[in-house]
Amino acid sequence: MGESPPSAGESADGSGDGLAADGGSAPGVDGRMSGLTTYLRERPRLRTLAIAGPPYGILVFFFAIPLLAMLVVSFQADQIGGAWTLHNYTDFLTSDTYLTVVWRTFLISVQVTAIVAAVGYALAYSIVRFSRRTTLLLLLVILPFWTSYIIRMYAWINILQSDGVLDSLLDLAGLPTLGLLYTDTAVLIGFTYVWLPLAVLPFYASLTNLDGDLIEASKDLGAGPIRTFLSVTLPMTINGVVTGIVLVFIPTFGSFITPRLLGGTNNIMIGMVIENQFKSAFNWPFGAAIGMVISVVVVALLVLATRLGGGLFGTGGETA
Amino acid sequence: MRKLTDGSTSLNRRRFLQGAATTGAAAAAGCLGGDGGGDRVPMDVTEWPPEDLESNLNLWNWYDSWAEYAIDAFGDEFDVDVSNSGYSSADQWYSQLQAGNDEIDNIAATTNWVERSIENDFLHELPVDVMPAWENISDRVKDASSYQQDGSVYGIPEALVLYPLTYNDEYFDSAPDSWGVLWDEEHEGDLCMWDNATVSCQIAALYTGQDPIQPDDYDEIEEVLIQQKPLLQTYWGDYQQGMSLFVNEDVVAGPLTMGRTYTARFQEGAPVHYTAPDEGAMYTSDLFVIPKGAPNPIASLQFTNWASETEHAAQLFETMGYQPAVDISDELSEEDAEFTNWPDEWDLVFSETLSDEVRSRYDEIWTAVKAA
Repeated sequence: MGESPPSAGESADGSGDGLAADGGSAPGVDGRMSGLTTYLRERPRLRTLAIAGPPYGILVFFFAIPLLAMLVVSFQADQIGGAWTLHNYTDFLTSDTYLTVVWRTFLISVQVTAIVAAVGYALAYSIVRFSRRTTLLLLLVILPFWTSYIIRMYAWINILQSDGVLDSLLDLAGLPTLGLLYTDTAVLIGFTYVWLPLAVLPFYASLTNLDGDLIEASKDLGAGPIRTFLSVTLPMTINGVVTGIVLVFIPTFGSFITPRLLGGTNNIMIGMVIENQFKSAFNWPFGAAIGMVISVVVVALLVLATRLGGGLFGTGGETA
Repeated sequence: MRKLTDGSTSLNRRRFLQGAATTGAAAAAGCLGGDGGGDRVPMDVTEWPPEDLESNLNLWNWYDSWAEYAIDAFGDEFDVDVSNSGYSSADQWYSQLQAGNDEIDNIAATTNWVERSIENDFLHELPVDVMPAWENISDRVKDASSYQQDGSVYGIPEALVLYPLTYNDEYFDSAPDSWGVLWDEEHEGDLCMWDNATVSCQIAALYTGQDPIQPDDYDEIEEVLIQQKPLLQTYWGDYQQGMSLFVNEDVVAGPLTMGRTYTARFQEGAPVHYTAPDEGAMYTSDLFVIPKGAPNPIASLQFTNWASETEHAAQLFETMGYQPAVDISDELSEEDAEFTNWPDEWDLVFSETLSDEVRSRYDEIWTAVKAA
């Protein structure tokens, strides 16, 4: 196996209990831990397996196997266990209706991602550069995560509905009311609110590591604020930006609760279509096929974004 | 080294004993688990009342407020520790049955999901001949629901669920007599529809004079739903959201369940009522079922009978506003009796399980309408 033989003081069966004896007065647990450490240190393959095994196991069990199951189901006709077919894919890919929904979903996701990236970057930048109470502000950013997603959406219903909180405030200020609920704007507001923390945190992490002297140097060399931002700040934090964009774009693409609760009659997204297949149409194979296609599309977009952004996988770019 | 050897041996012995105990417990659980969570199944009960009830009962009942009542009332009467998992969508419990149930004792399930469960052999047959409360179930419900197969009964009706036209009774002088009100430009922006392919397509089928179970002109259904779209404020997708639309008076007419209409009217004080238009209205039923793998099947059977007693069925209406499967007219106030009365002239259509083809077409139509 290429592993080293047991060292002196270890039991022949390889258990780490041996070190307890060497230590003499060392506590048993500490001795066993120390022995285990030594045992693993001398067996690099086993050590790698011990470290990487659990996370890979989790990935395989909770991600790869379900994905494989979904792939298998997507090739079955009508119901699980049915005959093999390509119809689920051809029906989806040749339907103007479904492709229209995918295109709409893409457009909404791009809009949401752009808004969240702009707002999130400005917020993270101001926290890093201009704030002293950084911890408090970051805590406030992630505070919404402590509340259920559905409850947050219902809170927005109360804010945006006709004669809701927003309209009441506008009315008090003598301004015309908006009645934003059940509009495209309401969906964008809901998404922005929900995903903002996901973008702010990686933005913040990359901006924290940005060397302030580089910005000063840029200014010393005559660059204005915009040019400094475009030529220094943004490139040096691009990995954080790409990470934030990916973290926002992917869940937005698969969303169905926000458009359902806040949107009007035109806010259908592909996540809602997939949900319908499983919960009311009972056509799981078709839902699985749509899910597979969307997964491929999103992964392709992810790879594209990664390459454009300088590479999360070390294909380029420079870590700030 | 002796210390090492002794310690090691001692540790191994403890581990061995722990492992043996764990394995034994797992084996015992496995033997006790499987089909029924115990030796008995409901059909073993040949005399009423059943003896030796289990001490626990795990409900999955989406009539949350009534379930709270039942937890105390049934628990106290039979000395059973009752818990309830409220759920919002039937696939939540159905996926547990698919995975092999070993937790759920009793479910309040809608007819079409009951049928699917029967087809997949997920449910226990029930000994209705020995259950006294079976006689309380009205014949109308017994005949309507398709929870009986080959002479076996797999569920006891809990409630009738009507999908009526709900309307603002201050806005309208009298109950609208046609689903056409949802296509009337006079009410543009004050209407809603249910974000549910089957319900919305069936309303459109009724509106266009077609059979909602087996329509003959899908194009017409799609066409009228697209025509209707600009008149709507939204499609509601959540019961609470649908009710809020009427409570906040954002809309004046649209589909809503009878129970939510009751809650909006009597608990929220909203000016709403419901009707079945001349073209007809759909209704279905929710049933108590005992899934295979239930760890406490006999307590679940006792509960099913208890819940169908008039006093407890009346509580279902009082707390949730749904029509129980039991005749409770003697238990109601005049106002409640008026609300729950379904006139004989109403043309009510039982929502039979749709064929795969119809369900699929309805889903396609609804996606196309929303994407239009």
